[in-house]
Amino acid sequence: MDAEHIDTRLLEPTTRDDIMALQTAASLENLAVSVYRTAAALPFIKDGNATLQEFIATTTQHHEEHAKAFNTAAVQAGGQPQTGTDPKYAAVVQQALPAAKTPEDVVALALSLEDVAAQTYTKDVGLAGTARLRRLFASVAPVEAQHRATLLVVQSLLGSGDSELIAIPTDAAALPADVGTTGFPDAFYPTSNASPISEGAVQ
Amino acid sequence: MSTAPPERGGWEPPLASRAEETEAPGPGRRTFLLGAGGAGAAFLLAACSGENDLSSRSPVDKASVIAHRVDYPGDLRTVALAVALENQVVGVYTSALAAAREGRLGTVPPALTSFLTRATAQHTDHAKVWNGVLTRAGKPALTGVPLSDQKEITATLARAASAADAAALALQLEEQAAQTYLMATYSVGGAFETETAATIAPVEAMHASLLRFLLGQYPVPDAFLPVDRAARPSLLTV
Repeated sequence: MDAEHIDTRLLEPTTRDDIMALQTAASLENLAVSVYRTAAALPFIKDGNATLQEFIATTTQHHEEHAKAFNTAAVQAGGQPQTGTDPKYAAVVQQALPAAKTPEDVVALALSLEDVAAQTYTKDVGLAGTARLRRLFASVAPVEAQHRATLLVVQSLLGSGDSELIAIPTDAAALPADVGTTGFPDAFYPTSNASPISEGAVQ
Repeated sequence: MSTAPPERGGWEPPLASRAEETEAPGPGRRTFLLGAGGAGAAFLLAACSGENDLSSRSPVDKASVIAHRVDYPGDLRTVALAVALENQVVGVYTSALAAAREGRLGTVPPALTSFLTRATAQHTDHAKVWNGVLTRAGKPALTGVPLSDQKEITATLARAASAADAAALALQLEEQAAQTYLMATYSVGGAFETETAATIAPVEAMHASLLRFLLGQYPVPDAFLPVDRAARPSLLTV
């Protein structure tokens, strides 16, 4: 990072909107951590596909790091950390997770959470008041998108009955052709389902 | 499916380019798990005359011509860099698909072929949006690859002897693109440019994830997207 960049952007004040956006982001991360932790203990997950287990464990760590980063930024900006979960999607999880009976159910729920997180942070890049916050949101959104891409591939392979190909390394030659495209459905990441900045803000 | 890019929020006066200078991307990761294939000796010519060229000149030659005629100041330099990177990827993927069809990459997984086809279309969409920014600012659209590493990339493609080689190069380019867009989100001044970069970076990152999976690598290696492989503005030769 060059000096000009630091000097001109980091001194910009963080607004109340920025703090709310950070808290909402942390609330989405907290929810994702909770869901993945619960999912990891489900019998059809913990006794199931080893690569999916690894993905859940690693992704949980990613979301823990994201929550910490968002809360650190919120506190540095003069706000409170958000230790709770996003109320809108917590209600969805409360209904969906206890009803999950298969890996497909868990993957579908995780997909929805990863997508809303990616959309929210993508939109937040354009709303953030400082370059530092734009960089934070912009460095997390692609990772949530990668989680989603991976889950879309897993979902596709589960759907086609090719669960043995959910492996690293996989048998690339045996993968169905549509696996090569299922992980990135849009040329531009959408933001129409982004959470408003106030959705998970500390009240 | 192609989601529309963000609504254009108006072109703001370009700020001085604040893009960071980072180390040039290193050689592509080479985890060759897709069996070795046929020779790629004839690849060089195919790559040099990619379908994104306007004329019979190679992209490198084309860029050298443009370099004497056009200046892209401020944020437009980042935009021009984005177009050039997108054009480079489209050229590489187009040539890789041609090589695959001709059997020069050995056995190519169907998933890699479909990836290259879909990703080419998306990169073309990205280039189109960025070229729109250039033309609205009164600058000509970039249709070649005015990047100083184009010869090196072309040579890497020429050496590709397997589908894994081609996929490793593709991964290198996708990682570079995603990181370049991440850097653009906090280094350009225009709202439209910032928002567009923000909507493209995740897509390039998703491309990279798919390629990692095909190459036998973990698809999400970092909790935060880094910028160590972002393209330097100095890579642009216009």
